[in-house]
Amino acid sequence: MTKPNTGELDPQDNAASEVRSYAIGFIVSLLLTVGAFAAVLADLPSTWAIICICIAALLQIITHLRNFLHLSFSGGQSREDLLLVLFSVSLLAIMAGGTWYIMSDLGGRMHDGGEAGHAAHAMPDR
Amino acid sequence: MSGQTSPIFGNLNWNVTPYTDLLRDVNSSTIVGAGAASVLVLGAIAGVAFLTYMRWWGPLYRNWLTSPDAKKIGVMYIVLALVMLARGIIEGFVIRAHQATALGTLTAQESGLVAPDHFAQLFSTHGTIMIFFVAMPLLIGLINFVLPQQLGARDMAFPVLNQVSLGLTAAGAALVMVSLLIGKFGTGGWTMYPPYTGKIFSPGEGVDYWLWAILISGMGSTLTGMNFAVTIFKERAPGMHMMRMPLFCWTSLCVAIMLIYAMPALTVSSLMLVLDRYADFHFFTNASGGNMMNYANIFWMFGHPEVYILILPAFGVFSEISSTFSGKRLYGYTSLVIASMSIAVISFTVWLHHFFTMGQSAGVNIAFGIATMIIGIPTGVKIYDWMATMWRGRVRITAPIVYLTGFFLLFVIGGLSGIILANPSIDYQVHNSTFLVAHFHNVIIPGVLYGMLAGIHYWFPKAFGFRLCETWGRRTALLFVGGFIFTFMPLYVLGLMGMPRRSPTFQNPDYMPWMYIAAVGAVLMLCALASLFWTFWTSYRNRLSLAVPGGDPWNGSTLEWSSPAPVPEWSFPRIPQVTARDDWGEAKRAGDPWKAPERYCDIEMPANTAHGLLIAAAATGLGFAMVWHIWWLAILSFLAIPGLIALRGLRVIEPKIITAAEVEEADQRFRQQVASLAPATRADEETERNRGVPDISEFAG
Repeated sequence: MTKPNTGELDPQDNAASEVRSYAIGFIVSLLLTVGAFAAVLADLPSTWAIICICIAALLQIITHLRNFLHLSFSGGQSREDLLLVLFSVSLLAIMAGGTWYIMSDLGGRMHDGGEAGHAAHAMPDR
Repeated sequence: MSGQTSPIFGNLNWNVTPYTDLLRDVNSSTIVGAGAASVLVLGAIAGVAFLTYMRWWGPLYRNWLTSPDAKKIGVMYIVLALVMLARGIIEGFVIRAHQATALGTLTAQESGLVAPDHFAQLFSTHGTIMIFFVAMPLLIGLINFVLPQQLGARDMAFPVLNQVSLGLTAAGAALVMVSLLIGKFGTGGWTMYPPYTGKIFSPGEGVDYWLWAILISGMGSTLTGMNFAVTIFKERAPGMHMMRMPLFCWTSLCVAIMLIYAMPALTVSSLMLVLDRYADFHFFTNASGGNMMNYANIFWMFGHPEVYILILPAFGVFSEISSTFSGKRLYGYTSLVIASMSIAVISFTVWLHHFFTMGQSAGVNIAFGIATMIIGIPTGVKIYDWMATMWRGRVRITAPIVYLTGFFLLFVIGGLSGIILANPSIDYQVHNSTFLVAHFHNVIIPGVLYGMLAGIHYWFPKAFGFRLCETWGRRTALLFVGGFIFTFMPLYVLGLMGMPRRSPTFQNPDYMPWMYIAAVGAVLMLCALASLFWTFWTSYRNRLSLAVPGGDPWNGSTLEWSSPAPVPEWSFPRIPQVTARDDWGEAKRAGDPWKAPERYCDIEMPANTAHGLLIAAAATGLGFAMVWHIWWLAILSFLAIPGLIALRGLRVIEPKIITAAEVEEADQRFRQQVASLAPATRADEETERNRGVPDISEFAG
């Protein structure tokens, strides 16, 4: 830790590029939001609509992290922050995915044939 | 506990103490219960009387309870852990004594020292205490004491938060202690699986004691984890790159990460059970859409990383002592770092092996079984690294090395029985038997307990200025090794003979020889505990001949050995400029390590505050009130916590300034003292000639 990494902006980052980054983020977010609404309003089959919304949502999250929260693979602090976010996401994915894997398996074996059998099978998580 | 809940006293009444049981029916079980409560009461009275007699209340409050100094907080954590350790070991002894007398016959099926319900409370508190209030405070305390000093920092990143964490842990411990006297503890084991611990099957206050103790202390541990992580990332001395950190700091980082991500799972599962019990929710009930398996799932999502939270600091300690006491550089630093980090991450992927037999299909079991076997690999790497560190070194058989040797021999056996259990089909044969009990004691005692005790022995002079008596230290270590072998090796045999764990009684006389051996082992463990306290006492009495004012009694190579012993509040007169891994050792190699800094500056230290103490009091009140349904007190305490935080936020808090002149004076005195002391060679390490100034020409680390 030869220089303070307290989240200060790099001095070479001038204000103009900062503003540009925020502006791009804002426009992209706006487009993605409009896109999601368009997917609902258009006559798409519901599966496709849901897929479109999910993709738009993911892209929206990435835009926010990148343009507003300054996470990126370049530069000391933002890289560290990004790695931290990715690490958290992967651990949460392990926990959530593992829970889904285990509980759906158990749900299938515990409730099948019982009165709540079909409901439990359709919603394996709880 | 009779019907009505009083608006003032909740469910409390005069019938909740074990004395009522004793009056109702005098037998060995009620005598043990009332005896334990009496020890608690008399111990508390004796403690208060002693502090009053010595007029120590003022110094205790000013120098310790209100201190935000991480080193003192660390010491307080360890004191708390040792008190709880005494209770835990005594309970373990009672468990063994009970089972040694628990052979029932066909006519009288129940037998033994204590009643079955009392026995269930015993193993539940024993487990809860040993994991949450012995192992956790031991390691958190040791990290608090050592980590900032090794990083070249003066304190933790958030000193007052640190105080709050200690307060919350102590509040949880207090709840468990109070359950000895007021009411009963839960009987569901340390994991408290529903539906047995739900309201229908466990209506009393027992499970609630556990829940609130765990919730409150768990919050403290989460906050500690954040504190450690921020300290490691932000507070390192200039030049202390990640790959220059001593290995203990690396394992602390792993622990911090695991605390942050694992503890919330425990908080969530406990909170869900709280909602089930207090607010008629149905997360884990059998009916109304609940699924009790999700409790096991979430609990072990915490529980498995927890195992490695416990063991990794011990691995850090062993890395430090194997290198220092062999006079050699640590072998395979990079591999140890990678292994620690791998363990930290893989530990999040194996939790299902704690409930292999609870109904999943074979595919799920196999996936987690394989993950479990994989985690053995980095652990094996570490064992070889430490052995290679000691290989051809000039090993001094000090107490920490006795612990390390015991660890090598026994932990490997524990690890191997773990690999056996990782195979689901074998697990089906031995799960829920004493084989399992033997396995986890076999990793936790030689791993965590030996590691922490070795660490305490190693860093004790840094905290108090004198060494611990080596002879008694080695005796303690040998007693713990012997006690472990005699207590738990028979349990492997008993498990294979088919004895279920947690059995209050059994009818198979074949068990008895092994039971007697285990009981002998429990006596040895008691002796080890006594010997441990005797080590502290006898060293305190001989503190003048054991004093090491030079501050480097073991010829160490990490930064903390550069300061005087006892270490001053500010640790370093100037924040060191780190140029290499094991910077202090590098300075020794370069010649004159005890060079004074060119100039001194004012040092800012966090000011003393009673904040942590007040939050701890509020948390204890909250827990106790919720256990006994004293709603007014619960609401008051609950509101007090944000109130206290807001109050502190509104005040302007000035740090304590230690002037440059003061620092210079103390530091110059230290330098002169070092210059005046005769350097001690390795051969003199255990003698009075060791004044904390080693012969640096012998340094080879």
